[in-house]
This record gives sequence, C-alpha cells and structure tokens, in this order.
Amino acid sequence: MASFAAACRLSARLATRKLQQEAAVRGYRTSAVALAAQNFSMPALSPTMTEGNIATWRVKEGDKFSAGDVLLEIETDKATMDVEAQDDGILMKIMKGDGSKAVQVGTRIAVIAEEGDDISSLEIPPEENIQAVKAAEAPAVYTPSAPEPESAPSPPPQPRTVTPKPGPKTSGRTYPMLPSVAHLIKENGLDESVIKNITPTGPNGRLLKGDVLAYLGKINSQTPSEVSSRFEKASHLDLSNIKVAKAAEAKKPAVEAAPAVQAPPAPVKSLVTLPVSLSAVIEAQEKIQRSLGVFLPLSTFIARASEVANDELPLPAGYQPTTDELFNQVLGLDKISGPKASRGSYIPQIATFPPASTLSRPTQKKVDIIDLLTASKPKSAQPSVKKTPVLPGASTGPNIFSLQVPKAEERRAQVFLERIKLVLENEPGRLVL
Amino acid sequence: MLSQRLIGRAAVKSAFRPSGLPSIVPASRWRRTYATEAEERDLVIIGGGVAGYVAAIKAGQEGMKVTCIEKRGALGGTCLNVGCIPSKSLLNNSHLYHQILHDTKHRGIEVGDVKLNLKQLMKAKEQSVSGLTKGVEFLFKKNGVEYIKGTGSFQDEHTIKVQLNDGGETSVVGKNILIATGSEVTPFPGLEIDEKRVISSTGAIALEEVPKKMIVIGGGIIGLEMASVWSRLGADVTVVEYLDVIGGPGMDTEIAKNIQKILKKQGINFKTSTKVVSGEKTGDEVKVQIDSSKGGKPETLEADVVLVAIGRRPYTGGLGLEKIGLELDERGRVIIDSEYRTKIPHIRCVGDVTFGPMLAHKAEEEAVAVVEYIKKGYGHVNYGCIPAVMYTFPEVAWVGQSEQDLKKAGIKYRVGTFPFSANSRAKTNLDTDGMVKMLADPETDRLLGIHIIGPNAGEMIAEGTLALEYGASSEDIARTCHAHPTLAEAFKEAAMATHSKPIHF
Ligand SMILES: Cc1cc2nc3c(=O)[nH]c(=O)nc-3n(C[C@H](O)[C@H](O)[C@H](O)COP(=O)(O)OP(=O)(O)OC[C@H]3O[C@@H](n4cnc5c(N)ncnc54)[C@H](O)[C@@H]3O)c2cc1C
Repeated sequence: MASFAAACRLSARLATRKLQQEAAVRGYRTSAVALAAQNFSMPALSPTMTEGNIATWRVKEGDKFSAGDVLLEIETDKATMDVEAQDDGILMKIMKGDGSKAVQVGTRIAVIAEEGDDISSLEIPPEENIQAVKAAEAPAVYTPSAPEPESAPSPPPQPRTVTPKPGPKTSGRTYPMLPSVAHLIKENGLDESVIKNITPTGPNGRLLKGDVLAYLGKINSQTPSEVSSRFEKASHLDLSNIKVAKAAEAKKPAVEAAPAVQAPPAPVKSLVTLPVSLSAVIEAQEKIQRSLGVFLPLSTFIARASEVANDELPLPAGYQPTTDELFNQVLGLDKISGPKASRGSYIPQIATFPPASTLSRPTQKKVDIIDLLTASKPKSAQPSVKKTPVLPGASTGPNIFSLQVPKAEERRAQVFLERIKLVLENEPGRLVL
Repeated sequence: MLSQRLIGRAAVKSAFRPSGLPSIVPASRWRRTYATEAEERDLVIIGGGVAGYVAAIKAGQEGMKVTCIEKRGALGGTCLNVGCIPSKSLLNNSHLYHQILHDTKHRGIEVGDVKLNLKQLMKAKEQSVSGLTKGVEFLFKKNGVEYIKGTGSFQDEHTIKVQLNDGGETSVVGKNILIATGSEVTPFPGLEIDEKRVISSTGAIALEEVPKKMIVIGGGIIGLEMASVWSRLGADVTVVEYLDVIGGPGMDTEIAKNIQKILKKQGINFKTSTKVVSGEKTGDEVKVQIDSSKGGKPETLEADVVLVAIGRRPYTGGLGLEKIGLELDERGRVIIDSEYRTKIPHIRCVGDVTFGPMLAHKAEEEAVAVVEYIKKGYGHVNYGCIPAVMYTFPEVAWVGQSEQDLKKAGIKYRVGTFPFSANSRAKTNLDTDGMVKMLADPETDRLLGIHIIGPNAGEMIAEGTLALEYGASSEDIARTCHAHPTLAEAFKEAAMATHSKPIHF
C-alpha cells in the first residue's frame, strides 16, 4: 500500500463513477513500498481545491479498514465529501484530527499501515515535501462537481477561468526555470525567498528573464508587463472594427439557448427475453435415450444451441471495428469480406429450467437414428402421444430465456435468443448428434 | 456411449444453417427500432476541409454524435485536394528534378539522360493526395463520424438540407452547427479562369504540359510556390507583384528581399511595384497589360499560361446564410465572436471562411478549440503564435512579428542574425543560402519574432514557435544545447547574436 492516494478514493455524495476510476488508476500508479507506514496527505478533491477542513474521521487510530470503507469526511468550500479506502489497511495515526481547519492539499493528515503490519514496530515516516506531493498528484486532480449534464438542455457552458493571474507570488511554480532565469538567479545570488517576490509575466505565470532583470532594477520595472500585454493582445483574433457587409434585410432570428454540454451516455443495460418451448428438446432427449441408451442432460442441448446461436451475430450498435476492418471499409473491400457480424458469447438465463436429472428413464424402444438426424420438421408441432409425463416444475411449455446486455447489444441479443429458440424448438436432435 | 467429443462444431453449425429456415430476424423490424435518420446530431459540420474534418474527429473523440457534410467527394478540403499537399508534392519532386539537372554534377554525381515525365510526376502527387484523403476517411470511421457526401445548405437554424452527390436529398438536424466551408480563389476581374490557359492554383497543380512562358499574377506564397515548380520544370516564369516586395503579408521585408534575390538567381523574373491592368486571351496566347505603379510606361506581357494568384476569399456560396439571417463582413467573412459563435450562438464558424490567416494549421487549431468550446465551454488558440511557411527552395518560415510590424507600431527591438553560409552543416550540404533572424525586446530580451530563410526552415520554425509560446528570451535558446553539425545551430547562433555575440560569425 502506498500513500493516501493508494488507499483512498472519493465516493458517494459527489463523486461519479468516472472519478472513482480515475482515483483507482491513480492509486495503482503510485508504487507501493512495503514494510513501512505510509503518509496520508490531504487530497485535492477538485482542480481548484487548495485546502479543506477535516470534518470527522470515521475510522479510529489503530483500527483496521477495508477497501470501500469511508475513512473520513472532508469539507471544502463547495461540499462535504467522503473519502473511501481503496485498499485494506490500518489507520496507524491521525495527524490532523476532527475539525482541523484549512488543511493544505498535500499536507500529511494521517499515517497508515498495511494490513497485517505490526503497527507497534513500525516507524512513523517523516512528512514528505508538500510541494513534491502536489506536483506528483497534479495530473490526477478530480472534478467532483457532479457528472457532466446529460444532453438535456442546459445553460451555456461557463468558460472556466482557471488561468492563474500573474500575481505578486510565484508560489505555485512546479516547472523548471528557463535557462536564462536560472542563470540570472545564480549570477546574482538570489535565493528562493527572493524569487517568490518576483512578479512573473510569462504565459501561465511563468517567470521570465525580463522579470528577474526588472526585479534587479536592470531594466525599467514596467517593461515586462508591457511586453506581456502586447503578447496577450496578439494572442486573440482581432474582431474589432468588423464592417458588416450590406446585408440583405433578414428578420432577426430568435436567439436560442446555447448548446447543451454533451456527456457520453451512461451504459444502459437492457433485458432481452424470449419464451422458448423445451418440449422438442425433451422429446429428443427421450428418443436418444430410448434408441441409444444415452442420457443427455438439457443443459447439453442448451449449451449446444447457444454455441450455434452465438455464431455470426449482428454487431452491437456503436461497434468499434478494428483498424484492418476500417481500412477495408475505406477501400471498399468490406463488401467482399468485411465483418458485418461477429461471434457472441452469450449464455441465456432460463426461468423454470426443468431439472434434467429428474427425467424419468423410460424403457428402451428402438427408434431409427436417421429419423432423429433428419428431423427437420418441428417435432413439437405434432403432439406426441408417447410423451413422458415430465417432471414436476419442468415445463414443456414456454420457458423464459433472457439476457442482460448493454443497450447497444439489444439487437444482437435478440437475434441470439430467436436463434436459440428456433434451434431448440425445431431441431434439437441435430444439436447433439 | 455417445461421447460429447463426437459432436463437432461443424455439425452443430450445419444444424442451423442449411435447413432453409426463414430468416430469423426480419430486417425491417430492426430498422424501425434503430433508425437514426431523424435523430438530432450533437454537431453537424458543413465542409470537410481541414477545419471541418479536424472538428469532426475531435467531436467524435469527445463522444459527440457528429456528421460532416462535404461536397467535393473527398475529405481534406482545399488543403489535401488542391492546396498544401499536392503543391508540396510538386515542389518536392520538381526540386529533385531541378537538382539532378543543375546541381548534382558539381557534387560528383553525373546523371545521364535526365527526362521529365510529367504524367508520372502528377501521378505521384495524386497518390499522395488520395492516400491522405482516404486516411481522413479512415479516421472518420475510427472516430464514429458520419460522413455525408453532398452540398449542405441551411433550411433553418438547426436543419441542414443536403443535396447528395449521388442524387437525391436528405436533411440533418444538429444541436450545434459548424460552418467550415473554406475559401476559393479570388478571380482577377476581366480575366476568366479556364484552368487551361488562365489558371488558378488548382489548374497550376494539374497542368498537362510545361508551359513555355508563364505569368504569375501575385507574388504571395501560393504564387511563388507555383512559380518555383514550373520554373524548375522548364517554364520561363515572370511574377508580377503590385507591392514593392514579394511574399505577401507577414513576411519580414528583409527576408522577402533576400528570397527574391535567391529566386531570381534560380531563374524567376520579377516585376514588383507593377500592376496588371487587364488581360486578354488571343489565340494560343494570353496577353497581360501591366503598368508600373511607380509611373513607368505601360507594357504588354505574353505567355501561354497565366496564373491568377492574387489571394483567396471566404466561400459561403449556396449555403443559404440569408435564410437564417447570418451576416458576412465586407470581405465576405462569416462574422464571429471570440468563441467562434455567429450571432446565432449554436452556429459556429472556423477556418478560411472566417477571420484570421488562411492557413491549414490555423484552421486545425480552431477546429479543436471550437469543439472544446461546445463541449467544455473553454478553448484556446494563440493567434500571436501561428507559424507561416513558404515551401520554395530554400524555404522561408516565420512566427511572431516582422521588423516592419514592430517599426510601424513604434516598438523598440533588437535584431540578431546568423547566415547559413557560416553554418557547418549548410556548408557541408553546399546549401548556404539564407539566414536566421531574430527580433527581441531590447530590455527583457523576450523574443518577438523569428524569421528564417533556409533549407528546412519550415521544420526549424517549430522551435521558434515553441519559444514564443513559452515566452522565451533569445538567451533561453542560446543556453539550450543544439546538436552539431545541424542547421539548427544557426538558430542558436542567431539567438546568441540577439542578446550577445555569436561564436561562429
Ligand atoms: C495551392 C495552395 C497551397 C496551400 N498551401 C498551404 C500550406 O502549405 N500550408 C498551409 O497552412 N495552408 C496552405 N494553403 C491554405 C489551406 O489550404 C487552407 O488554409 C485550408 O485548406 C483551410 O481549411 P478550411 O477547412 O477552412 O477550408 P477548405 O480546405 O477550403 O475546406 C472547405 C471545404 O468545404 C467544402 N464545402 C464548401 N461549401 C460546402 C457546402 N455548402 N456543403 C458541403 N461542403 C462544402 C468544400 O468543398 C471544401 O472541401 C494552401 C492553399 C492553396 C490553394
């Protein structure tokens, strides 16, 4: 188990499944170092979160926790969020207790140990460098601000203004310095605390050579920001002074609400069902037993039928073809050989499945095997007089075959079921001979 | 016992197939349930040029339901079909030809009988084009973009009627619409383009024989590139330019003068400060009356082919903008705001058909940004940092401001230059024409503009663009290691020349 990142994930109130996945990914990315207790640091629960309050710890010092347990609740200015454990472990020590206010992201808030560790013998690790933690976690910042709206009409997307304003501080600098800046700083013996006071004017708050020169008083102190504002201006299309061509008078169109933000639809599962009569199967089962003395369970028939029905099923809606398939399509080769279908791997669920083992074993009777093999006529259509009274609960009438599939595969599943029905009701003998 | 092993899959399969059973699922049933025709798209794009196709792919990647309408019959627009790509194919191969004819001998390579096979040259070009346009079609499929071949026009604010190329008509409805219809050649008044004798760039990339004499009206990038191609292949080419410098807007004047000298050495004639007054087709010839804008005497030039390359203009023909009340500016550009919205906010517009430089990579940047605006509410293109390249030999490339821009705006600057004649790689290659020129703020040393003439300038400018994007000073470049021996060392030395002194000059 590694740091906080590995052990926790967001959940519940605000976090979406996507976020959990991201959190999980992040967790796996952190390499685990065993044999030592690990620092938990304050997570960034949103891209803009810099600090938060610890509402309550749900796990006590010394307690074990399992993946999925809520470890603590964190309050931000936006919301209160649960932080879940992602792996099993032991909460060794809480460094920032209930009610701790304004805990900076990246600050250690607890120490955790791996499940099974003897916490009495583990050392508390030193606190990691907050800056470093921040930098390392930066790419995995979550946006717990609820799932993106569905395609339903919604207010126009608000441009997010996350660009840090070039302020008097450079505290957030996590990138390497430009070579000229590094050189000037060394040359003039400036130390870290001084660098913090230099106003950066570069893109995204980057510290430029001119900024240091201005700080050192070697150039006019206003020049860097003047140059920057020229760049800022040049970075936009000049849409001032647009001269509208003399327009053919047209009635002013009603201004519509701006487009809704699109979110990929959540995968919807759908249930596809089809009643299937097993009477023909049972009949075939009997015949085989009578003629060959072999008892074949119903499950064999169904497995065989599934095998057949899974062949060359229509592709799911939104099927992602392979690169080769795509190229063939572009070149028009798919008309000759392209896959319009692919093999499925469905196994139907069956309600009122007749327990095969209870099938009574009738006295042997000679039946020509050829009859069975050529049974292209639906046997179920001709009610058999010799029909064995079958088992309690088993039905020779319709059983409900069903499949739970993603929405996109509805059609594929339906075809599968219809085929399985056809095979089981019409020529089950062929399946096993 | 009947072993299960006996039951082969083939037998099982046959149980299902050959019995002539009725088709299990009537197709119509599913067609009804899964029909998409009437469904609203998240984004409908009119035009499959660089702007349109990039937006389509990006939107597909963002999970949007997107349709792209293109009337050309091939994707990629002007750029892939009749612009950047075919012209670069001809430039590259005509350069090879020209080099073999005139340049390899003194390098110690003697080639016998060099012959031009223009048909094959054109075929090579067509292969590149079709490979790339097919590639785009492939990317459409890969990213789930619906591609409709036809001409789109507005029926109402959300509905686009499409006249299908294969006949018939359909319509698509979009929550968002993107206009990406690009640009067309600006015609020269009184000189009708027939693409045989009076040609546009489209005719110039497809001539069936090398003209004896060729006049190019307009000394901008497209004109000079085409002039290079046909001059290398043997035509006697004269470029007529109204302004006193060639290269078009944005090119640094010093660089422009320099490249003009180099091209002149290569055999292209220039008539700058010269106005084409009129033109006329007579028999096998085209006559062009010119007049020195500085008050010389009028003159008549004759040629078998005249290329009109005086620029391109936004194209919105047949789009039905008047139906929805969308306005153009006086130069025919679709009017947008900073988020590419027209005054009908769900209809946006990017690429050549709206403001900004008419460049493929600019269109591409905008295409990504516009999809981000639609999807995320934020996108960005840094218009101060868009490189431009002219693919003559040597190439000319620049990014940021030119010296004349800075002068005009009254901005102080410092210049540093380094000639390729002092660069070891250029010397070993025996290609020493050209130079790197940098402009920087005299106080902060922040780079303001970078201009290059030289072999591979188009590749080298990427470093300059990156530098500008990051707010670098010339010293930052000078303190960055560049491999030896490379042309890029000239770039570094120019940076040294800008804030202190170059080592090798
Ligand atoms: C000879 C030449 C060389 C060039 N070289 C370069 C270069 O080296 N580098 C560079 O950056 N740029 C170059 N350009 C410019 C570049 O081609 C354009 O900037 C770029 O193609 C613009 O892309 P676009 O998508 O905005 O427009 P276009 O590429 O023009 O695409 C618009 C597309 O929309 C289609 N269309 C229009 N109306 C409709 C409608 N109603 N329905 C359906 N479809 C429609 C058109 O058929 C066209 O295919 C060159 C141009 C030319 C002519």
